Amino acid sequence: MKKLMNKLLLSCLRATELIEKKLHFKLSVREKLQLRMHKMMCNACSNYEKQSVLIDKGISVIQEREISIDDIEQLKQTIAKKISDTK
Amino acid sequence: MAADANNLSEWVETFTSDLYSWALHKVSDPELAKDLVQDTFLAAAEKIEGFRGDSNPKTWLFSILNHKIIDFYRKRVKQPVRMENQVFSTFFDEEGSWKFAQRPGEWNEDESNLLDDVDFKAVLNRCLDDLPEKWNTCVQLKYLMNKNGDEICQELDITPTNFWQIVHRAKLQLRNCVKENWFEN
Repeated sequence: MKKLMNKLLLSCLRATELIEKKLHFKLSVREKLQLRMHKMMCNACSNYEKQSVLIDKGISVIQEREISIDDIEQLKQTIAKKISDTK
Repeated sequence: MAADANNLSEWVETFTSDLYSWALHKVSDPELAKDLVQDTFLAAAEKIEGFRGDSNPKTWLFSILNHKIIDFYRKRVKQPVRMENQVFSTFFDEEGSWKFAQRPGEWNEDESNLLDDVDFKAVLNRCLDDLPEKWNTCVQLKYLMNKNGDEICQELDITPTNFWQIVHRAKLQLRNCVKENWFEN
């Protein structure tokens, strides 16, 4: 019974895979349908999807990093030296 | 008119800051970003004879840098990583159902507050750093490259299946790390 269900409605392993796939690619009609049905029956995977999307948004906002001017000056010097060394 | 070494040291002075900001934004690792900028200028020094005085040096330098960044991604996604299936057996049973203790429950937090929360971002950053380098890069590529999955795979020469399967494992682990270090703390 469970095997049949998994085949029709996806296992949680496969459902979470499609949830991740969906964040990067277009799902096929069949995949969309299977995923929607799975989530209707499975709270855990519905929660997983919300949390995965949240983490993805988190990743998109953590990227800004502080840049120190000293760092830049030092980098300029290192590069200038490297260039004159190779001449 | 060809450019020469004098131009180059002028450019180091003028463009290092912009190149570095860009590289850091694209690889989110300060040391690596510095190396990439340095390599960019060294490559420029080698090729300077070929640079035509009437083109824009900034555009030229940025195109060298961008090639180096893509090269870096390409190498990163090709890195072999071992023990990939262990992630699955941590979370799922043989039939692919969530193990009872691992079933995702509700996270009762307001999303917009969370995304502004410095501490939350710090936890997320730490969890990203805990991933194997390749996984870390893969989950960030969409934002680093600002491209969709198909474009990423094409540019980095990996198959879509390979790519989302890495992202799948990485996200399972990442979500779990965030859960343990933020929601259960």
